[in-house]
Amino acid sequence: MAEKVFSINNQLAEIAVIADTLESLSDEWNIPMNITLSLNLVLEELVSNTILYGYDDTDEHKIEIHLSFIDEIVSIQIEDDGREFNPLLVAEVDVDLPIEERKIGGLGIHLVRKIMDEIVYERIDNKNILRLTKNIRRIE
Amino acid sequence: MNLTNEKVNNFCVLNIEGRVDTTNYSEFESEVNKLFEAGEKELIFDCSGLNYISSSGLRVFLIAQKKTLSLNGKLYLCNLQPAIKEIFDISGFSTIFKIFETRDKAIGS
Repeated sequence: MAEKVFSINNQLAEIAVIADTLESLSDEWNIPMNITLSLNLVLEELVSNTILYGYDDTDEHKIEIHLSFIDEIVSIQIEDDGREFNPLLVAEVDVDLPIEERKIGGLGIHLVRKIMDEIVYERIDNKNILRLTKNIRRIE
Repeated sequence: MNLTNEKVNNFCVLNIEGRVDTTNYSEFESEVNKLFEAGEKELIFDCSGLNYISSSGLRVFLIAQKKTLSLNGKLYLCNLQPAIKEIFDISGFSTIFKIFETRDKAIGS
């Protein structure tokens, strides 16, 4: 069983830490590069949302990220102490609309939903806990 | 991220290389705006060196396409890496952009 736990501060520059961490895990866990990029994307969308919109103060906050890879299933857990936010309640964007009607934005959560197989949200002890899984065997 | 542009026939070709993400999409957006301000209406975004994009970068593509339409111009994409093409597909972008396999095909269309 492969596991990696790390945390970042609520600064957008920390997105680079996510990219670096995933890049080294890609080698270590032998995960194909396209999957690594998808997982990087999922983490960036969720974490940047939290950093940009999740806090009522300007204090430093930690966002904890837990990754594991067992039996071809990648699991991600993201834990933050920001405002209650369940991304599963965000309205779906209609990606079939013609260009004239396409709204700017709202794509991030859509990408997360499309890339991951399962997403579970919980609010525990004033924390947002999001668990996401992806079976990587299916798309090789 | 590295951005360079060059003139090829009537087209202004913008080469997008590296990663476009939440930390740098605004540079990408202002570079695209500069091209529009310079009067460019026929654009090609050459994505051969683009190896990562998140929704903030996709947003700039969408803004550029809307702007191009309003100017009656052209915006073609070419050389998308498979992983990037996949992101465009699930974003529904593959139907709202003209995507060519190569730069030559885009120019010759």
